[in-house]
Amino acid sequence: MNSKPKILVVDDKKENIVAIETVLRDLDVELISTTSGNEALRETLHHQFALALIDIQMPEMDGYELAAILREDEKTANLPFIFISGIYTDHINVFKGYEKGAFSFITKPFQPEILINKVKLFVEIHQHELMLKKLNNDLGRKNEELVVLNKELEAFTYSVSHDLRAPLRAINGYSQILLKEHTESVDEETKRLLNIVSVNATKMGELIENLLSFSKMGKREVNKGKVDMGLLAKSVITEIKETEQGKKVVWDIKELHDCYGDDLLLKHVVSNLISNAVKYSGKKDRPMVEIASHIKDNEVIYSIKDNGAGFDMKYYNKLFAVFQRLHRPTEFEGTGVGLAIVQRIVMKHHGRVWAEGTLDQGATFYFSIPMDI
Amino acid sequence: MDDLLDVLLIEDNSTDADLTMRALKKKNNGLKIKHVEDGAEALDFIFSQGVYSNRNPSFLPKLILMDLQLPRINGHEVLKQIKNNERTRKTPIVILTSSSHLQDVMECYSNGANAYMVKPMDFEEYILQVSSAVHFWLEINYLPTY
Repeated sequence: MNSKPKILVVDDKKENIVAIETVLRDLDVELISTTSGNEALRETLHHQFALALIDIQMPEMDGYELAAILREDEKTANLPFIFISGIYTDHINVFKGYEKGAFSFITKPFQPEILINKVKLFVEIHQHELMLKKLNNDLGRKNEELVVLNKELEAFTYSVSHDLRAPLRAINGYSQILLKEHTESVDEETKRLLNIVSVNATKMGELIENLLSFSKMGKREVNKGKVDMGLLAKSVITEIKETEQGKKVVWDIKELHDCYGDDLLLKHVVSNLISNAVKYSGKKDRPMVEIASHIKDNEVIYSIKDNGAGFDMKYYNKLFAVFQRLHRPTEFEGTGVGLAIVQRIVMKHHGRVWAEGTLDQGATFYFSIPMDI
Repeated sequence: MDDLLDVLLIEDNSTDADLTMRALKKKNNGLKIKHVEDGAEALDFIFSQGVYSNRNPSFLPKLILMDLQLPRINGHEVLKQIKNNERTRKTPIVILTSSSHLQDVMECYSNGANAYMVKPMDFEEYILQVSSAVHFWLEINYLPTY
């Protein structure tokens, strides 16, 4: 890569070669000079040229013939060349030269500056092409690496799902067997401790479950269609109203705009945000949840507002991260995966998700879905 | 001794196998269960070959409970071989696995699995799930006569 760009010079007259070599002496290039078409073709087998300077009038094989052969060979098909002709520039010859794919044409006697500038230009183009090729190759390789890494990650998820669950089942199963089948030989304190073991094994099982569904969401494709958000929210709320906490809530559901997205995935988002609102307002005397939507800058923006525990905005950056929680598990249950899944789904729709909160005064979660299909 | 077998349990994980046997015996103490630890042994048993070449091949288990990730020959392959054999294909096979991957579920059903269950984490649920599956296949469901 660091070697100088090579230029092929073909001219049957030694003095012309010397002239070219003299003119190009100060350029940072390597000249390989030949005195016939055949010799030039031989050199193309051994070198990768940036440019060829070809004399037209030569015995045996003239410059046009040489150019035609170079064009046909895969290795030299894209090699730019400059015809250097002693023939007085009449249109026929110039035309014939371009037909063979010449990139430029110089008549003898030539102005040294013109030759130098043309050679410089072509060498520069060649360098850029090499650079581009290298970058392209690098990119291709990086892409392949990413594909491999992605596959590894999938395999990792699989083994997490399978291999980590088995030992947990053993821990959970045997502590329950001890608790239930060996009641006489187990005292109260031991029972209490065994219960802690069992509860924690179950908890870890849930974490694994949630982590898996998070990674499954990432792989799932988005099947877009028209989504009746009003209907979707209603079906979610009907389910939540059945729960103990849901019964206490005072609902305020505004008319919701439709959007264009994957209704199954968006149901997951809405269900998650509404359950959160219900969960975190559950300790208020009069829990309230408000659901609304509006259109702004070509996006439908949905909001779910509650008057619950809220959060401190200084921990905002932890809100949507996996396994991050802003509340103690003794206050509010959860594994810290829900909002990470919400964010992932909304991002798959090219939308945004954000929130505003005040500690002890409630929170509002927003997500937007672009209106362009 | 293996003549009247109720359940063939194919499970490599010894604690899972133990839990499954406990779960089975809890609700149905008289069950005759044979446990094998990998796919190759399972096939030897079913087809009366290898170490089981003395076994009477006409006595088949009433139900096969099988994990998917098995050493030597995995569950998918075992399933295929049993379901592709005219003599053994009517034996119900219930997959009992940790994997909830859609791909595994689909592959099992297209290879002729009769049911697919994901092992629950909670032992109470585990007992309920395994024993009700056995109850269904052994006592409720009618199979075509041989």
